[in-house]
Amino acid sequence: MNFLGVEDLHIDLGEFHLKGVSFGLNQGDYLMIIGPTGAGKTILLESIVGFWNPQQGRIWLEGAEITHELPERRNIGIVYQDYALIPHFTVAENIAYGLKKRMKRGIDDKVRDIAGALKIDHLLHRKPDTLSGGEQQRVALARALIVEPKLLLMDEPFSALDPRTRRETRRLLLDVLKRRKITVIHISHDLNDAWALANKLAIFRDGVMLQFGPMEDIFRRPKTRFIADFVGASLLDGRVVANDNGHCTVDLGDFCVASIDAADRGNEVLVAIRPEDIIVSTEHPAGISAQNIIETTLHRVVPEGRACFLSLRANETELTVLVTNNALHQLDIAPGDTVYAIIKSANVRIVNQAHEGNVCS
Amino acid sequence: MTFFITLLLVLAIGSLFVVPTLEDIRQNIWNAEMRYSLKLSLGTGLISTILVMFFALPIGYALSRFHFWGKGFVKTIIDMPIAFPELVLGLCLLLLFGNTPVGKLLSALGLTFVFTKKGIVAAQFFTALPYAIRIMKSTFDYINPRIEFVSRSLGYSMAETFKNISLPLAKNGILASTVISFARCIGTFGTVLILAGGSFMKTEILPITLYLNISYGNMGMALTSGIVLMVVSFIAIFIFEKTEVGL
Repeated sequence: MNFLGVEDLHIDLGEFHLKGVSFGLNQGDYLMIIGPTGAGKTILLESIVGFWNPQQGRIWLEGAEITHELPERRNIGIVYQDYALIPHFTVAENIAYGLKKRMKRGIDDKVRDIAGALKIDHLLHRKPDTLSGGEQQRVALARALIVEPKLLLMDEPFSALDPRTRRETRRLLLDVLKRRKITVIHISHDLNDAWALANKLAIFRDGVMLQFGPMEDIFRRPKTRFIADFVGASLLDGRVVANDNGHCTVDLGDFCVASIDAADRGNEVLVAIRPEDIIVSTEHPAGISAQNIIETTLHRVVPEGRACFLSLRANETELTVLVTNNALHQLDIAPGDTVYAIIKSANVRIVNQAHEGNVCS
Repeated sequence: MTFFITLLLVLAIGSLFVVPTLEDIRQNIWNAEMRYSLKLSLGTGLISTILVMFFALPIGYALSRFHFWGKGFVKTIIDMPIAFPELVLGLCLLLLFGNTPVGKLLSALGLTFVFTKKGIVAAQFFTALPYAIRIMKSTFDYINPRIEFVSRSLGYSMAETFKNISLPLAKNGILASTVISFARCIGTFGTVLILAGGSFMKTEILPITLYLNISYGNMGMALTSGIVLMVVSFIAIFIFEKTEVGL
């Protein structure tokens, strides 16, 4: 049995709703939930912690049903985007608040320990409104973690932080979580959070969980175009034209690609290719093991921090490639130039055709 | 335009203080009728305010935090006395507490409101309650409900969370609501006149003193009771503005 089980959860709060959400997590799992605003992500967290009663469905934690258990009896921590610190308490009082309900002695030592781990021990006597966003976020984390919750829920905890503080807080969180085997559900809009922290991923839209599974699976095999767009993969329509010992060749219209995935000949399929799995060359390579070498034209360059996305076109078919700024500089290419996209067949993933809707596995 | 209206108001309020002489005020303020009226106003106002806040706090909290069937209807009914003329509210209460089964039941329990001092408290209570509820609701609306959610998740019950989090954060609103309720109770006229009557030195509170003395042509007493009412209102509005909680 799963450590956390959510079974056919339905909640309708008028503006926001959840429709038939089901998934399970093992102890120590780190689930990242992504999806557009209004997708029902926060309601899911708030129903797991016990603030909303579902109209239908059940929630299990450590083998016990908690669907209608009071929030104060669940031992599930929650950290919000706006921190929700108690303004008339000091930092130390905020952190100790949950602990005071559980123990009488040794509170100060525990507060100092967690504050030290999150590097906020010098702020203990300050009031929340005198702290920066990053400091407030770490106080909120300390307050949730100090009571050793069975499950930690985080609703966009890093969204208000600048990139440097976000990286630092992410690192501190990982250090703390490593020492305590806490199961985490984390809502974020930043895929970097997912890569850095999570082992499982769920995509939400309109109150529906579109896809749930291990990170690699969803990043490499997004089931719908919406999910592919969200996780930044190219998802192309194709038909299987050859199937040889489990390896297949898919005709994408303008070119064919080889994949190590199996699919029946004649099937309509979706092919998913990650932007970081494509190598770009200005000349046709010879003597390499990659099975797919596609002649394309560089259509557009979109800068993205220290890297950039290249949009390559072979007639009507478009591939998105991620390269570093250094690599682009060395390639010395400009829109309109001919370039070769090189893709290993192991990086061409066949996804069964799915409708945009509830395709959750 | 703003300055013109403000000037008119200042002149109107100022005339209340300018017309009577200091000697008039001094004599009238120690008059037996005025002392009775002031004592009764403060006493009933205090009791009514305590009762108003006792009900306004949980009702305001419930209206702010909970979604329940018929919430819109409840809000409309609670707000109605704000739009009602006081005389109509008084008439409604007179009918309810008069010869109806509710009135008879309350009378049997020793709670007779018609033409009694208890009626003053009832009239003040129903007049001030909607204002207090509105202030308490907007106060709780301003408090981030996520702070309460977090408190619950950390092991505190709803009652403990209300005591530890909601009440301290609502202290300005509670103060504002109390002060406004007190001012409203002290100044209630029409509802008191209809339900408790305007009997000389029996159910006579400050606004009734003002009304009775205007009727007799005793301007000194009328103006003095007006000044006392104005001072109470001024202090109330001053505290209200300081707490920065609006309706």
